[in-house]
Amino acid sequence: MNMRRHLALTRAGIMESLQYRLGTAVTLFANLIYLVLVYFLWRAIYDSAGTDVVNGMTFTDTMIYLILATALFNFLEMFVVWDMSRSIQSGKIILDLLKPMNFRTYTFWSYSGSHVVLFTLTFIPTFIVVMIVTNGAIPMGINLLYFIIATVLALIVNFSMEMIVATICLYTESTWGINIVKETIVLLLSGASIPLAFFPEMFRKVVEFLPFRAVYDIPLTILLKKNGTDTLEELLPMFGLQLAWCVILTVAGILFWNHSVRKITVNGG
Amino acid sequence: MKKHTFRKHKLEGTDKMENAIVMKNVCKDFKILNRHEGLKGSIRDLFSRDYKTISAVKDVSLEIARGEIIGYLGPNGAGKSTTIKMMTGVLEPTSGEIMVNGLVPYKERTKNSERIGVVFGQRSQLWWSLPLIESFRLLRDIYMVPKKDYEEMLELYRSLVDIEPILHKPVRQMSLGQRTLSDILAAFLHNPAIVFLDEPTIGLDVSMKAKIRSLIQGLNAEKNTTVILTTHDMGDVDALCKRIVIIDEGKKIYDNDIEHLKSYFGSYRTLRIRHADDTWEERVIDETKEDVMDVIMKKQKEQKIKDIQLQEISTEEVIKKIYENSAASKESAAVSDVAEKKEEATV
Amino acid sequence: MSDTTMTKPKARRGFGFYVRIYRKILVQDLKSKMSYRADFVISTIGMIMTNLSGFVTFLILFKNFPSINGWDYYHMLFLYGFSLIALTPVQCFFDNNWNLRFQVQSGDFIKYCFRPINVFFYFMSEVFDVKGLGQLAFGIGTLVYAWVHIGIPVTPLVIAKLVLFLLTASLFMIAIMNAAAATCFWIVGSGYVMVIMFRFKDFAKYPSNIFHGVFRILFTFVIPIAFVAYYPSLAILESENVPVLTWCAPALGVLFFYLSYKFWMLGVSKYDFTGS
Repeated sequence: MNMRRHLALTRAGIMESLQYRLGTAVTLFANLIYLVLVYFLWRAIYDSAGTDVVNGMTFTDTMIYLILATALFNFLEMFVVWDMSRSIQSGKIILDLLKPMNFRTYTFWSYSGSHVVLFTLTFIPTFIVVMIVTNGAIPMGINLLYFIIATVLALIVNFSMEMIVATICLYTESTWGINIVKETIVLLLSGASIPLAFFPEMFRKVVEFLPFRAVYDIPLTILLKKNGTDTLEELLPMFGLQLAWCVILTVAGILFWNHSVRKITVNGG
Repeated sequence: MKKHTFRKHKLEGTDKMENAIVMKNVCKDFKILNRHEGLKGSIRDLFSRDYKTISAVKDVSLEIARGEIIGYLGPNGAGKSTTIKMMTGVLEPTSGEIMVNGLVPYKERTKNSERIGVVFGQRSQLWWSLPLIESFRLLRDIYMVPKKDYEEMLELYRSLVDIEPILHKPVRQMSLGQRTLSDILAAFLHNPAIVFLDEPTIGLDVSMKAKIRSLIQGLNAEKNTTVILTTHDMGDVDALCKRIVIIDEGKKIYDNDIEHLKSYFGSYRTLRIRHADDTWEERVIDETKEDVMDVIMKKQKEQKIKDIQLQEISTEEVIKKIYENSAASKESAAVSDVAEKKEEATV
Repeated sequence: MSDTTMTKPKARRGFGFYVRIYRKILVQDLKSKMSYRADFVISTIGMIMTNLSGFVTFLILFKNFPSINGWDYYHMLFLYGFSLIALTPVQCFFDNNWNLRFQVQSGDFIKYCFRPINVFFYFMSEVFDVKGLGQLAFGIGTLVYAWVHIGIPVTPLVIAKLVLFLLTASLFMIAIMNAAAATCFWIVGSGYVMVIMFRFKDFAKYPSNIFHGVFRILFTFVIPIAFVAYYPSLAILESENVPVLTWCAPALGVLFFYLSYKFWMLGVSKYDFTGS
């Protein structure tokens, strides 16, 4: 069936990621050091604040949130934009378009392998370390299942955003500029660098309806069961938001891509 | 040129002062991880320390005289580019000695690179967004070419090829042919003693190929530059090289004049016979084993012959035979036996 | 031809030679960049966005927490501006490090080894990143604003110190990025090291006395982000009690840069150029 073809891509991706064994080890280590930096910064911030709870978040809450956000970031990070601009510049894009599989589907499943590897190698170890260090501060239960669902949705939202940005590469060679704009906006507005709880009221209200929140904030909020998010009334709006953005961004992405490719082929570029 | 340094480092048996390159028993090994197959294999590889050594170049000795154009041939993965990388000083040989212009290239890479030029077929070394003339000016400064020499070189270029249309064009806007041409011109700009050309005509059209061949020939004749040419295009070899060196699996298997090449397996010619029904029959004949006239006569008894053509064997066919022969000898120790079988297969 | 070679002067390609070559490449490069105006505009917008978002993060933090480790808003802002300026050289002159792993992997890197000039120089000279200048402007603005509010006197000595310590600080970030980029000569798929080291720079704008124990040593002497802004800026901010490490910074900066350069070049010589 079709699924088997897709899973073959996943498998190839896993094998390719594992080829870089030293690279994987170094990545893990560098991540650990990064987390140490995050720890010291927020330790100092909370120590200077004089209170234990700021905006409803204790130091431990903030730490768990940021560490898991970083782990999630590493696991979700894709280089679609870079790959795209490279294949456009080298002309490889033509071959990609001629593959007997929809380009979008092909890209998604090619990346799935590295997602599996990174999830196992970065997110799960981080999760276990956090559990041990905090003596089980993360609630374990049905929220784990919800978290997995939310993460898959987050992955699709993230992928759709990547694809839209990557399509812009068909128009300009300034990959760096496009990529940095995307990265900065996503990191700030998704709550990956500072928890959304710290944002000023007005700002937060706006951010909550943007797609970026669906990538980091929603999965983590569900996992950490903040504000009693294990009830259906709390969960549904969040899943709803994720799903809505999945559909909107996917459709927008496909339309934009098809339009752009047609234009490029007409121009003979 | 610093002749005294050359004398000091002189290798045994190289009395000829005009040798541009001398290689003695050069070997190059690479250590690579033994990879396993499948998903389980890749997980196992994460922890494996199972390395294997690959010999890319095995005991190659070579002497190349100044001013020679040498065809350096071999099938893909034979070790050609590894040899070139050692000659240019980018790689250090595992064992053996190399002398290029009297220098040990990997020890004095910078000094060595003043006296060599390198072109890699599809990889431009020029500044991508600059017009060619600006690349030339930068190279002039980098190699510290005196103004007079630089002007003279440009004059020479103008006499050999029409450079005006490309001179003010950025490299990124050039066609592949123009880019290759530019790269070759750039490689000769500082008047190096040796130029390495790695597949310079790959992917080019017939007229561009001819243009580039005559340019190389002209520059070699004018400046007495030694040219090491690796290529898969026998047209390049026929047009440019008097001598060819063939390596396969890292070993040198042929090193002689191009004339000798044709008698490498005996004296071959291709006989073409047109039958009554206007079909052509083609057959390669080894003249040491059978006589052309005998074959024709035998054929004539079998059926009516309308026309006969006799052709010298092309370089391409000989090289093909050498590659096949070398590949076959790996499978069986009885080389002569295999050579005969191969011959039958060709016939 | 042997005659022309012989007449060339012997000891050459000194510092002056490299400055001249760099200037020529730069002029040509800028000329050709002018013809890609859309690219320039997008990159500049990108740069402004990054800095703006960094600034917003900073503001949000200070809205929630009035001070960090005894550093108030304006002192933190000073540190922030200082780090932005100190990060400009690595952005402008050493940006090609980001391309290193791709060129090494594809085998294209070999072309840098055929010229009679320093490989490191040749490689870095190929890219001058104009958008780094936007960051510089942003940094200067922030620094001046904080400077005025703190009320540091402007004397020739202070300005001289500022320039010296800014240059010093920039060497550390260059060293970090060189070393991170050079890992690709040994480790396939080490690109992530660069990404994460580049993110470390975001922590340079916080006072390094927030680190304790072994990590203070790590972030001072192994991954020297404490030197990217904190220690050098103390030379301006503090009138007395300047830590010894601040005075050591210039020498250490040169040392770190030198070591990273050596590491980078070691990678070049050890790499076997099999990728092709």
